[in-house]
Amino acid sequence: MNRRRGERDHYEHGAYVPTRPATWWLRNMKYFLFMMRELSSVFIAAFLVLYLYEFFLLSKGSDVHAAFQESLRKPGFIAFYAISLVFAIYHSITWFGVVGRIQVVKIGSFQVPPLLVTAGAFVGWIAASAAIGFLFFALL
Amino acid sequence: MSDHKMDRTEPFWWGMFSVGGVVAALLVPIHIFIAGLAIPLGLLDPDTLSYEKMRQLVEHPLAKIYLFVLVVLPLYHAAHRIRFSLYELGVHEFRISMGVLCYGGALIGTALTAYILTSML
Repeated sequence: MNRRRGERDHYEHGAYVPTRPATWWLRNMKYFLFMMRELSSVFIAAFLVLYLYEFFLLSKGSDVHAAFQESLRKPGFIAFYAISLVFAIYHSITWFGVVGRIQVVKIGSFQVPPLLVTAGAFVGWIAASAAIGFLFFALL
Repeated sequence: MSDHKMDRTEPFWWGMFSVGGVVAALLVPIHIFIAGLAIPLGLLDPDTLSYEKMRQLVEHPLAKIYLFVLVVLPLYHAAHRIRFSLYELGVHEFRISMGVLCYGGALIGTALTAYILTSML
C-alpha cells in the first residue's frame, strides 16, 4: 500500500497513531507560514486559470474581450489580484530562499557559495520580471 | 517485513512540482501585476491589453509556447501542494484517490490550455 495513502490505513495491529486537530497550523507562526506557503499555490493556480480564460475570450471577439477587461477593474477582481500578488511574491521569496541549500552549483572544482546561488536566483527573478515588464510597458 | 509497494510515479510528480515551482516563482508575480493591477493603478495604458494587441501577441508561436509553460507547469506545482496540504489537514483519501483528483485536475488543465492555444487562437 502507498505509505502516504491515509497514514492510519497501514497500521494493521492497532499501533498508536498520534492525532492532531485540523487547526494545528494555527498554533504558532512557523506552522502558519508553512500553511500560507502551501496556500500560495492555490492563488497562483486560480490566477493562471483566470489568465487562460482571458486568452480564451480572445476567441469570442473584441466586444466580449473588452467587456471582461473592463470588469477586471472592479474592486472584487482588484482585491483578488492584490491578494494573489502577495501570495505569489511569498512563494517566490520562499522558493528562491532555499535554492542555495538545495542546489549545489559547481564551476570546475569550485563550489559556488550557497549564499551566492540564492542571490543569483533572486537576480534571475528580478531580470525575468524586468524583461516581461519591458515587453508590456515599452514594446506593446 | 514491510509489504508497502513503492509509488513509482512519485518522482515524476515531484519533478513536475519542482519545475512548476520555478516557473511560478520566476514569472507569475509580474504577470499578476500586469494583468490585474497595473491598469487600475494607472501605470499601464488599458490599450496595451486590448483585443487587437493580445490577439496579435498570441498569434506568435513563441508566445503560445511561453503561455503554455506559464499556465501549465504551475498547475502541477499546485496539485502537489494541495494534495499534501490536505493530508496535513487530516483529510483522508476519498473514494477516488487524492493523487488522481489533484494530478488529474492538472492534466485536464494541460489539455484545456493546449486546446485553447492551438485550436481556438
